[in-house]
Amino acid sequence: MSDVHSSDDGSSQNSSSDQPPRSLAEQVSFSLAALLLTTLVGLICYLWLGKRGEAPPNPILVIKPVQKLSGQFHVPFELTNQGDNTAASVQVVAELRLTDILTETGEQQIDFLSSQETESGAFIFSQDPRKGTLTIRVASYKSP
Amino acid sequence: MNKNRRRQQAHWIREVEDITRGACGGFLFGIPLLYTMEVWWIGSTVSPPLMLLAIATTWTVVFFLNRTEGFRRTTKVSFTNAARDTVEAVVIGLVCTGIMLVILQEVTLQTQLSEALGKVIFESVPFSLGVALSNQFLSSNPEENRVQSSKQNSTAQVEARQPEISETLADIGATLIGAIIIAFSIAPTDEIPMLAAATSAVWLLATVVISLIISYGIVFEANFANKTKRQQQRGLFQSPLSETIMSYLLSLVAAAMMLWFFQQLDFSDPGAMWLSYTLLLGLPATIGGAAGRLAI
Repeated sequence: MSDVHSSDDGSSQNSSSDQPPRSLAEQVSFSLAALLLTTLVGLICYLWLGKRGEAPPNPILVIKPVQKLSGQFHVPFELTNQGDNTAASVQVVAELRLTDILTETGEQQIDFLSSQETESGAFIFSQDPRKGTLTIRVASYKSP
Repeated sequence: MNKNRRRQQAHWIREVEDITRGACGGFLFGIPLLYTMEVWWIGSTVSPPLMLLAIATTWTVVFFLNRTEGFRRTTKVSFTNAARDTVEAVVIGLVCTGIMLVILQEVTLQTQLSEALGKVIFESVPFSLGVALSNQFLSSNPEENRVQSSKQNSTAQVEARQPEISETLADIGATLIGAIIIAFSIAPTDEIPMLAAATSAVWLLATVVISLIISYGIVFEANFANKTKRQQQRGLFQSPLSETIMSYLLSLVAAAMMLWFFQQLDFSDPGAMWLSYTLLLGLPATIGGAAGRLAI
């Protein structure tokens, strides 16, 4: 019969004073678990107390050079939230005007953008954006 | 001296078994929520005070479960021991969830710390409950197990010459039923295409490895009911390794069929898509299949 706190015969006692001490294995696993849980709680407190401010989401768009792939024109972009709060449903829209006529449009939606998080994507056009005026902008977001 | 060493060794083996049992219970209970994108979203946006509240709530519920059940083989535990076991149960849940979210690529090196913590904490709630309930799931008294297995031994000797086909069919049936029970509700959802979009070959290989480890753990390491019986099982599933691999392949077939049934896949789709979708749904299907084989 085991002499540790957990026994197979169901005869383990109901009060801590009656119970035999925990084995080394149990003590080691508890210590590791307690250390991990304390670290986790510490990280959460760090996030909570160390929050820089309450600045609203601030999605900043960086547009990369146009790439031609299989006869189509890809315009990659990166979106970084430089605000303190998370933005949800961030809408990015693109408009291509050739000779002042709206020729092609595109729209993307990014589900969540945490503070300092970067998401990337690309708009695809059938005509070369370099020959016209390309506007890519963040149109909207909502608070989660 | 030697006796002391043997006792220490027995304690370590027992501890590993307890933790494995807890982790397997967690996987059985927590895997469906892991494939729920709404929880990923909630985790992405949750604030630190709510994270602390979630941990405190989970701890309290698991504590009360540990007072009666828990993941260790015991019937009654003191307040202090239950509190210590609760810390372990919550951490087992958090670690298992963290590993799964990394394998499913919902937490990557690019994920912000607050988002990663939120996802892990919210997804770990059912895992931790599963850890605390692991003795309840399919568990039985080891003494009963021994009596049952010795009875089975004598029956097996009498029936030694009988064809093993019926046992193999029973195993196949149990694996398929278990796989369907767990994976059927996940197959038609958008989570599988979303996860497939985020994964890569390396992470798919990791999915295969973790599926096999969890399946083996549930059936042969977690000390659940009928473990001894399973080790004596005859038929095509004659050894732990072959049983684990055979049942994994069966679960993959079941997963592919479920995806096809719900029109997530059709025969015109590329092979790579079939493979990634099937392997991703294969993980919950294998866990269900393992639980199914223990239930027979």
